[in-house]
Amino acid sequence: MMRLGIIGAGPGGYVAALKAARLGAHVTIIEDTEVGGTCLNRGCIPTKALLACTEAYSRARELDKFGVDLAGAVTPNLAKMQDRKDRIVQTQVKGIRGLFKSWGIALMEGRGRLISSHTIEATKKDGSVEKIDCDAIIIATGSRPALLPGFPFDGKTVLTSDDTLSMTEIPTSMIIVGAGVIGCEWACIFRELGTEVTMLELMPRAVVTEDEEVSDLLAREFKKKKIKLMTSVKVEKVEFTEAGVRATLGDGKTIDAQKLLVSVGRALNTEGLGLEEQGIARGPRGQITVDDKMQTNVPGVYAVGDVTGGMMLAHVASEQGTVAALNACGHEASMDYASVPAAVFTSPEIASVGLREHQAKERGIKYRTGKVEFRALSKAHAMGEIAGFIKLIAEHDTDKLLGAHIIGPHASDLVHEAALAMRRGLTINDLEQTIHAHPTLSEGMREAAEDVHGRGTHCPKT
Amino acid sequence: MNPIDLRYHKEHSWVKPEGNRVVMGITDFAQGELGDIVYIDLSETDAELEANGEFSEIESTKRTYSIISPVTGTIVKVNEDLADTPELINEDPYEKGWIAVIELTNPSELDSMMDSDEYEKFLASKGK
Repeated sequence: MMRLGIIGAGPGGYVAALKAARLGAHVTIIEDTEVGGTCLNRGCIPTKALLACTEAYSRARELDKFGVDLAGAVTPNLAKMQDRKDRIVQTQVKGIRGLFKSWGIALMEGRGRLISSHTIEATKKDGSVEKIDCDAIIIATGSRPALLPGFPFDGKTVLTSDDTLSMTEIPTSMIIVGAGVIGCEWACIFRELGTEVTMLELMPRAVVTEDEEVSDLLAREFKKKKIKLMTSVKVEKVEFTEAGVRATLGDGKTIDAQKLLVSVGRALNTEGLGLEEQGIARGPRGQITVDDKMQTNVPGVYAVGDVTGGMMLAHVASEQGTVAALNACGHEASMDYASVPAAVFTSPEIASVGLREHQAKERGIKYRTGKVEFRALSKAHAMGEIAGFIKLIAEHDTDKLLGAHIIGPHASDLVHEAALAMRRGLTINDLEQTIHAHPTLSEGMREAAEDVHGRGTHCPKT
Repeated sequence: MNPIDLRYHKEHSWVKPEGNRVVMGITDFAQGELGDIVYIDLSETDAELEANGEFSEIESTKRTYSIISPVTGTIVKVNEDLADTPELINEDPYEKGWIAVIELTNPSELDSMMDSDEYEKFLASKGK
């Protein structure tokens, strides 16, 4: 029986474990915090649970708009919201542990280190040490919030996204350093709760990994919500004040707030793994270098997920975990990053797959775009959520779908039609030919496709 | 009918000269085309504008639209009433629905704008 050792039980590690067990391998997985990793415990799931609460609060504040009379006040209770989130996370954690039991996967609680290319030394939580002999090893240790040097982190006033998950009082004001995916999601959550939010971003726009038009629309929606977004600014200094914290910018301007959240990226968990000793090659950011089979330079040692850098997304980690498990168990598999969708759970939601328009320009690709605003869709009006658009990018000569960018209601679900189309090399015409149920938001995908060819059904004559 | 004391820009905005400044807004035709206006992205005062460049985004229930600046200059005042009641632009595009007061950099730009007759002919020629 093939013996697989996995360090880290996040979305990369635990999926690799389940896939390998299914293939008949004997799997030992070592986890130093909790199964489910960052995604389940400190990222994806907890934030989405909180988001559902803030959406409920937002809806409650506009009941009058929906013809519902409410007698009395509507008050958000962050402590209760965190409790709900904790219960949801616990259920999911139990689920994964249950799956491990069901497949006979040995879960060891502690830290793992490679002492050879085929042996993991596990230091368990009770201090005992155990050697695990493996036929193959998968490193899936993930990442953690990056701390900025000179920032006085105390987990209470100057925070990371790990700390916000244990806040029980709604801050009156907050500075968020970094307007990437994580910063923007938290900005929406706190703003909805009533916090005065100021965002400080080094780059010229927020969510710089998305299409430029998406960043523009998000910035406008933030302005409507009175989230203050300052781009192309650098924070030179952060100091504690009596009221909380003061950030000083490059031009000398200062901003005061009760709390400061740093969301400038993630640091990779590469320490204490024995990587140098085992001669495992690393990239410029310290990431473990892997090929498309998730193999490191050391045969039999694989790495997946955030620790390999790349697209730091849970679903990419899981896919990589699958590929690594398959290869480790003697099957053929390799990663294909061509059509990986990504979502940002801001309000409005963002989702994208494939090329951004500026990337198409940079690569000298001859392309066409089609766009439809959600306010052109009757379903969006019926729902009362009309902000946003769907934009498709197509290769000019072949009509193939190259990219899809959605900002608006249910973007994270709508994007998968495009992901599937891209993976199968489908064309805009294919999208146009597909009947979409009415009334849905998905109809917007078809309208956007029609617009690529300049024949949107619901466009007035120009 | 379009007020005769105003000058009109081909992208359907109007200006009312007041010394070296103009009051600016969008025309009755524009507000009709847009439908019910739900939001206008009001610029900050001191923002610099270029004639024929982007002025700001306006949103109706039908579509979003980029208002094009009719003149080059600096914004000295914006109509704060539009933050809560953007529909003033639909109801009264030439008076209560004014959008901004702009200090002109190049007053001669007004000469190449249309008067109300020319604007009406312009609209007719576009089959509108």
